[in-house]
Amino acid sequence: MATKIVMEALSPTMEEGRLVEWKKNEGDAVAVGDVIAEVETDKAVMELVARVAGTLIKQEVEAGATVPVSDVVGWIGEAGEKTGGKTEKVEEVERVERVEEGKKEEKAGTGEKPEKAEKKPAEEKAEEQPAETKAEKAEQEAPAERPASAAGERVKASPLARRIATERGVDLSGITGSGPAGRIVQRDVEAAKAGPRAEPATAPAAASGPTGRTITFSGEPFRDEPLSQIRKTIAKRLVQSIGPIPTFYLTTVVDMERATEAREALNALGEGKVSFNDIIMKATALALVQHPACNAWWQDDHIRYWNEVHLAMAVALDEGLITPVIRHADQKSLREIAAEAKDLAGRARERKLKPEEYTGGTFSVSNLGMLDIDEFTAVINPPEAGIIAIGRISENVVPASEGLEVRKQMKLTMSCDHRVIDGATGAVFLRTLKRMLENPLAMVY
Amino acid sequence: MTSLSTHRKLLVHDLGRRPYAEVLELQRNLCRARVERRLDDDILLLVEHDPVYTLGRGTRDSSLPVAPELLRKRGAEVFEIERGGDVTFHGPGQLVGYPIIDLAQQRQDLHWYLRELEGALIDALEVLDIAADRNPGKTGVWTGGRKIASIGVHVKQWVTLHGFALNVTTDLAWFDWIVPCGIADVQMTSVGRELDTTGNSLKDIDLRAREAVVEALGRRFGRSPDSAALPTL
Repeated sequence: MATKIVMEALSPTMEEGRLVEWKKNEGDAVAVGDVIAEVETDKAVMELVARVAGTLIKQEVEAGATVPVSDVVGWIGEAGEKTGGKTEKVEEVERVERVEEGKKEEKAGTGEKPEKAEKKPAEEKAEEQPAETKAEKAEQEAPAERPASAAGERVKASPLARRIATERGVDLSGITGSGPAGRIVQRDVEAAKAGPRAEPATAPAAASGPTGRTITFSGEPFRDEPLSQIRKTIAKRLVQSIGPIPTFYLTTVVDMERATEAREALNALGEGKVSFNDIIMKATALALVQHPACNAWWQDDHIRYWNEVHLAMAVALDEGLITPVIRHADQKSLREIAAEAKDLAGRARERKLKPEEYTGGTFSVSNLGMLDIDEFTAVINPPEAGIIAIGRISENVVPASEGLEVRKQMKLTMSCDHRVIDGATGAVFLRTLKRMLENPLAMVY
Repeated sequence: MTSLSTHRKLLVHDLGRRPYAEVLELQRNLCRARVERRLDDDILLLVEHDPVYTLGRGTRDSSLPVAPELLRKRGAEVFEIERGGDVTFHGPGQLVGYPIIDLAQQRQDLHWYLRELEGALIDALEVLDIAADRNPGKTGVWTGGRKIASIGVHVKQWVTLHGFALNVTTDLAWFDWIVPCGIADVQMTSVGRELDTTGNSLKDIDLRAREAVVEALGRRFGRSPDSAALPTL
């Protein structure tokens, strides 16, 4: 009776493997322990080894083919014997594999039960059982935002695809599977979840105000997002056009009357001076919480969206400049920021900063107002995606409800890495920042 | 992770500088011996190779824009081998490690193994004050978007061979002749390039890297590293 040779799982999460090379030709004699073929996943190659002796009567797939785990790749039997074909079942088939000594041991981390290792390949249905259990378990641990597929309706999906879908709140019922028999596999879920990301860029109306996504304090410091096709294309085209960091600039005029009053009131308390720069940094950090799309790093093949705000501030030195970082700036009070900024700037000028104090920023602020600069464009500090340039506060005549009046105004210019931040994305962030500064109470709201 | 592995040994053999072919044969023999249970302990071979380009099973034609004869003319050997992955380079100043580990006694999961190798190298680099990271989807170890270590393994009945290569003071110009790991535009780097090496001799860095890697691997796989003479097979 012919014995199946199947694609083996090189790890519990593997869905498919590439048969890189046949080590035996059809018609070759095979002894127990002989290497029949080599399978590759990622950067690891494993040998498929014969557990029965006989003749390799059929190679079902060609070298180089990608085959789902547990699918038949070939048959061992007596020369001239008929095989069951790729899909047809053969009674009492034996899986060609090395006896798994470690299979009694529960696989750490995956929560999989040892039965998985013992399952018979003929019982293909059995494979879906652990998948469901796993998905359900994951749902219990982290309630999905959206309900899973309609009750009772079975969606064919691989275990990995289910897990990713649950993790990311993707509804499997809306996805067309590209795997065998329409099964939803990892790449389908990955492709599906790329959709919602593009929303803020294509629909600026939806991004009006801080109602959209805000930073969620999940305990993870950041979230890596693979590049969608549109982000890849934007990145490639813009780099060709303008240089390694395709920067664009947004400028807004901020009315600083109320911020000035607030600052004077705070300083009148006599508990340490608060500078305009401190107020702007505090507001920037809070605005970033509302617009995490601007609190990100360009990482060449993905974008790292930070769930923490670490604000870097440019400090001029006698020779050059340095950007000390106020960590978790969004969670610090104005007074804490003022004290920390003063301390960091002081030690920066004395060259006493430790490397961890001037690296790891998620966004930067640069201020040349004290040097009477009205407005300027700052250079992005990679891998950060944005920097705010602060000009001086000047008194300008502006139209008022009745006639004209003189008001304190300041210009903010944001430099954006267009690979990460689109025009509308940067604009809504800057608008939030402007509103906060014009109404400092918004910062405590 | 698995309790039974905590007291197992990892025999570390530092082979010094050796030609590729000799060590290839040695690790194949050791792997076979481990599969056949003629060897009871897992082994870590450490070696520095003479210049050599190795072509893994995943090598694409485009990864080798230069004819192998030309590479040989430049003083490097060229080998086609059984490990996973694309083309890479080994040479002086590079710390190459070949763990011969029976994963059946640890955890039968090649992705886990690859990630642990990366993790150990990241741990070791941290000791050397280099912040390194994984690059999802691209096996290897990266720092600031540059690749500092390459990984490619082969498993024979769950016993590993081949392994990792960490650029310590490698002359990176050797990588210019290939498309390392098949990733176009990849920028290679080394410990020496990432660190301010003033005040440290290259020899010191090499030694520190070696110690850090051995210790990190031991910790990751729950083994106590032990240097011993090579077992006679």
